Amino acid sequence: MLSFPEEIVLLLLDETRGEFVPLPESVFAIVMSGAALMDLALHNRIDTDLEKMMVVDRAPLGDDILDEVLSGLGKAKAKLEITDALYDVALAAEEYRSRALKRLIARGVLREENGRHLWVFRTRRYPIIDNTEQQEVRTRLRQVLLTDEIPDPRDVVLICLVDACALMGFVLSDAELDAATPRVEQLRKMDLIGQAVTRAASETEAIIKFAATTM
Amino acid sequence: MDIEQERDGDVVIVRLSGRLDSGAAPSAEERLSAALTGAPPRLAIDMSGLDYISSAGLRVLLVLAKKVQQQKGKVVLGGLAANVREVFSVSGFDTIFSIEADPASAVDAAR
Repeated sequence: MLSFPEEIVLLLLDETRGEFVPLPESVFAIVMSGAALMDLALHNRIDTDLEKMMVVDRAPLGDDILDEVLSGLGKAKAKLEITDALYDVALAAEEYRSRALKRLIARGVLREENGRHLWVFRTRRYPIIDNTEQQEVRTRLRQVLLTDEIPDPRDVVLICLVDACALMGFVLSDAELDAATPRVEQLRKMDLIGQAVTRAASETEAIIKFAATTM
Repeated sequence: MDIEQERDGDVVIVRLSGRLDSGAAPSAEERLSAALTGAPPRLAIDMSGLDYISSAGLRVLLVLAKKVQQQKGKVVLGGLAANVREVFSVSGFDTIFSIEADPASAVDAAR
């Protein structure tokens, strides 16, 4: 099973072109950070309530991304603001994307293709070799979003991440999404870190839009 | 946390008290899964002694609710303290679970 940082990198790759779908870097950073934190929560390394995040177990998981995030959390104090932790971890999001890509290549899920655009500009693409994981995530989320099936905790995290990246169109058609919007809102609330990711991603996008319209 | 269990006819009553957090989650998950005995299972959870629930605790209840749904059973929560109720409201768990004001009503609703 892929880690959530690996899942989000894979979900952000356009299946046919092997390029990342457009997403502001700052939003990606928050989503990548949220993916790592929610993975740690599902591994019982951190816990949260309505006010704080707590590191409850510092035992490494053997995953270099998650272990690095875990070791950096809560050094100064036992209880953290969820949003502060989210932004702290987001600082290394690009590095984590790079590591997640390397892992996906090593597992045979992707391959790296270097080329040139107009004979000058270097380009790099990551065509997907094995799309089993993408297909399984899509099938699983469709089942949860289009029925009243109770999600498992992993489904809830994936819905939070997909929604924060505005990737629901990858899972549902426009008509399905219109009908399922209340269901998406219901399920994305169910993880407290996920709620913080949604808020931070929305605020960041609003700031970017505001800056774009006032320049 | 303390977990007690008794049976009232077809309904298994589980009483949770103390804190349902990451420390208590593994044993709570095990005990609650073991309480799914009937076919279909009918479960009333008395939460009146529960004074704290974290995300890890919510996940335990989510996994339980999923198992109950898969077995076409019923689970009803009762007697939530105001702070626990607030966690359910903020996280939307109050839209997943049947919640009664007190434990006795939860038992009746689970029948």
